[in-house]
Amino acid sequence: MHQLPFTALLNHLFAVPVNALLAALGLHAAHPQAPIPDHVAMEFLVFLVLVVFFVAVRASLSVDKPSTVQHVMESVYNMMDAQSEEIIGHHNKKFLAYIINLGLFILCCNLLGLIPFFETPTGNPVVPLGCAVVTWIYYQANGFRANGIGYLKHFAGPVWWLAPLMFVIEICSHLARMLSLTVRLYANMFAGDMVTLVMFSLLPVVWPVAFLGLHAFVALIQTFVFVLLTMVYLGEATAHEH
Amino acid sequence: MNKKLFVLFAVMVVMMLATPVFAQGEPAAAAAGTNWVAIASGFSMAIAAGLAALGQGKIAASACEGMARNPAARAGIQVAMILGLAFVESLVLFTLVVVFAKVVK
Repeated sequence: MHQLPFTALLNHLFAVPVNALLAALGLHAAHPQAPIPDHVAMEFLVFLVLVVFFVAVRASLSVDKPSTVQHVMESVYNMMDAQSEEIIGHHNKKFLAYIINLGLFILCCNLLGLIPFFETPTGNPVVPLGCAVVTWIYYQANGFRANGIGYLKHFAGPVWWLAPLMFVIEICSHLARMLSLTVRLYANMFAGDMVTLVMFSLLPVVWPVAFLGLHAFVALIQTFVFVLLTMVYLGEATAHEH
Repeated sequence: MNKKLFVLFAVMVVMMLATPVFAQGEPAAAAAGTNWVAIASGFSMAIAAGLAALGQGKIAASACEGMARNPAARAGIQVAMILGLAFVESLVLFTLVVVFAKVVK
């Protein structure tokens, strides 16, 4: 069974507890000696890298002599703050933690595939689905938190006599948002890998690197689009006139 | 001279690495008789890509025109253009996903 080196390491260390956890939930891994699949191992690696980065930022926070990681984090924060204030409005600070985290996670996942011996976790349809479902639950929950039960009026449309039809349409459209977020991210990452492989089959020497570059560019763009759409949905859900 | 050689060899090393090769390959689809799936997927991808190219061309053209009329708004127009291109691109990729779903079954 083909595994990446990092996955093999994780399975070697954690196969027994993971199998026990799966058995407790009534599930069985396809290969009991390697219960952790590649994409989960890669996600875990991204999680570790991000936690180390955040700890490094926190440990070296200083007003007089900011370190490099502090500069990086400040610029990320300022960019997301400016963008979300434009889209969501003045109450954007509550959502910044989730938005920045989501953006950094997806960006690191997308770029991880460019390193040899690692694969893109977002190239497996399950990972973008997880991101999309969590984002959807987050913005619906914030919609209810900001507007109470009146959030349901968002689904009713402009006039009251169209409400039964509009309810169905709006609910379908909201569910379709989960689908579109997932498929957009998954398809872009998957297509990037596929097209590099196809070009590799044509001319193995220099030509495929151009498509690795395309994959890197697309990784950045798709992260931006995912985060922007999250902000738009949040803004729409928590919209209230002051 | 040494520095230039170093840079040249570094570039060659990077060029020789095409990392997705380490991923697994695709199963091949065999068919007895006319392979309608292959024909249909070829046509559907071509139509999707063609129409998307028209749409993206319109987006890029209006972005260029906007930037020419108002060079100060360049940053905002670039953001809107990239966003628009990404949305149209993702529609083509939806088609690609459907093709893959049908080919691999």
